[in-house]
Amino acid sequence: MSTANSETISIEQKLAVQSIRRFLESKTSYDVLPVSYRLIVMDTSLLVKKSLNILLQNNIVSAPLWDSHTSRFAGLLTSSDFINVIQYYFSNPDKFELVDKLQLDGLKDIERAIGVRPLDQGSIHPFKPLYEACCKMIESRSRRIPLIDQDEETHREIVVSVLTQYRILKFVALNCRETRYLKRPIGELNIITQGNLLSCRMHTPVIDVIQLLTQGGVSSVPIIDEHGRLVNVYEAVDVLGLIKGGIYNDLSLSVGEALMRRSDDFEGVYTCTKNDKLVTIMDTIRKSRVHRFFVVDEEGLLIGVLTLSDILKYILFEEN
Amino acid sequence: MGNTHSHHHAMSENIKDVSMVDVSDAADESKTGSQKAIVQSFSKLDIGDHGAAPPLQRRRSTLIFDDDDDMPRHEENVGAKTDLDEDHTSQDELTGNSSESSSASVFAQQRMSPDESQGEQSSRQPSPGVIPVEITWQQGGNKVYVTGSFTGWRKMIGLAPVADRPGVFHIKLQLPTGTHRFRFIVDNELRFSDYLPTATDQMGNFVNYIEITAPESQDTLQQQGQDQAAAVHPKQKPKAAPVSARSKLALQIEGEPDDMGDGYSRFHGGVELKPHYEYTQDIPAVFTDPSVMEQYYLTLDQQQNNQQNLSWLTPPQLPPHLENVILNNYSPNAQAGDSGSENNSGALPIPNHVVLNHLATSSIKHNTLCVASIVRYKRKYVTQMLYAPLQ
Repeated sequence: MSTANSETISIEQKLAVQSIRRFLESKTSYDVLPVSYRLIVMDTSLLVKKSLNILLQNNIVSAPLWDSHTSRFAGLLTSSDFINVIQYYFSNPDKFELVDKLQLDGLKDIERAIGVRPLDQGSIHPFKPLYEACCKMIESRSRRIPLIDQDEETHREIVVSVLTQYRILKFVALNCRETRYLKRPIGELNIITQGNLLSCRMHTPVIDVIQLLTQGGVSSVPIIDEHGRLVNVYEAVDVLGLIKGGIYNDLSLSVGEALMRRSDDFEGVYTCTKNDKLVTIMDTIRKSRVHRFFVVDEEGLLIGVLTLSDILKYILFEEN
Repeated sequence: MGNTHSHHHAMSENIKDVSMVDVSDAADESKTGSQKAIVQSFSKLDIGDHGAAPPLQRRRSTLIFDDDDDMPRHEENVGAKTDLDEDHTSQDELTGNSSESSSASVFAQQRMSPDESQGEQSSRQPSPGVIPVEITWQQGGNKVYVTGSFTGWRKMIGLAPVADRPGVFHIKLQLPTGTHRFRFIVDNELRFSDYLPTATDQMGNFVNYIEITAPESQDTLQQQGQDQAAAVHPKQKPKAAPVSARSKLALQIEGEPDDMGDGYSRFHGGVELKPHYEYTQDIPAVFTDPSVMEQYYLTLDQQQNNQQNLSWLTPPQLPPHLENVILNNYSPNAQAGDSGSENNSGALPIPNHVVLNHLATSSIKHNTLCVASIVRYKRKYVTQMLYAPLQ
């Protein structure tokens, strides 16, 4: 009886995933956009510290850049750019003047100086299938992809919008009824990142945590207590708040102290267990601005993480 | 008949109910034949002429539901932004073909037998401003309804199955020009059609939308003609003209998409047909003779009876469309449960078309200038804000 049941569930899940994939193939990035929306763009000659204020003011964490000399799209400004600057300043404390006067078009020099490979963001035309946009994001290991089109008259690039993995998954959660058939426990699906999980403690210096973010190429580092229980998380976007006021003077803080800078509307840390189902996960994505789920056991011990790209990869490539 | 009446009553006593009108009941209800002015009332153009309709008879009207007892309370529309955005520039494939008889309103289909509705209709002209739009669902199901911004998202309108085409349902709606968003309810599930343009709403829900433009300039001309005529003959039609001009003014002022939460209140139910108007070369006396003008506005104020003591006569500080800058309304934290722009994807209200391609600017702060411009991108609107330093 129960085996027959789980077999049905497996088949249903498989069909549902295939159906969602077809949905992603049939829709375009353009379809995800609201009928009317705003897009904040920054000129590359803007000072980095000003750009930070603009992000915080507008309550966003990234923005496309525009090179007014070439009239071209010049990549995305994301939290990793600020992390680069922090790391640069930390190892070159004498370069305050440079950091203070740094413009957005100077970020490439910083990347070079600290030996970070520039992220290949890639971009996609808004009318290409959503599926393609997803694949590009997975390939380039980026969490967002700019939508670029050409102006019909001048043939110049126009930045239409930027899609994130979150927005795409939320779009799926909102519009695909099939998600309700995703009833297999996520532990069975082999999609959780387990073992070798980066983590830190509350008293770890925040600069070390920032180091971890770049080393691991991750968007967050879980904070655990002495028993290995999950207590909080430090996210890449938290660095925006960290360097908000005075510039880069608080790098000696512990991560626990740094978290005090977090704004009050922090969504919280989302956890799940191996027995949770994707339907619940998708439901949570639909309702909340969540970017990853930490997988814990019954005692709250951290055993893994389920990121949005893990979920996306599963939908894109599994259950064939 | 009695059946229908009790149905009516139930509705009038229970306006807040999301009523479900099922076409399968159409046979029972088809005998009433009492639906008057179903179509006309939805026209914003007939604001131009209320000759026989004293203000008292005005009422909140939805686009499709004429009866007072069927009125949804628009103030309660949750997140249902509606769009007054008149768009005459792009011809939509969904633009109603004017050859269709406008009698095919929802109610006509639901409550009148074809014969009756035909007879009813022959006495009326198609109402300008509303355009018959065929909405088709072709993805199966047993019971199909449509709900959308045109009913304040509170009503479900049943679609009728198309004979010989299983899984295909259709309905003809009378909709004013502008953008309308809607979804289908197929066997109790909210769905969207894969065959119609889609967009996400403020909450990120996937909705179909159609942009309805006037099929011919004829309608527009007619409207202008009316407006002019209304202004031209204030003396001959002392009651009608003021109301019309006032309504027109109100429409322009309130016609911002942003406050469309109760926007439908502007669609006053018109009961009578408008006469035919013509252009004239003469400048209306109301514009040349101060005494006529005074008379005109005094009448207008009395008609309004709104105790504003002519305060509305003061010219606005700004052109009306500038009073509602959608960027000023944007507040990422305002929507409960939707903190941050990443969750609502930076969605904005639909801009009024007159603000497109204008450059807005902030004051310069900290040597940084922010300019913004709303442009069309295909069938959507991008409000791009560019931050740049002063060189």
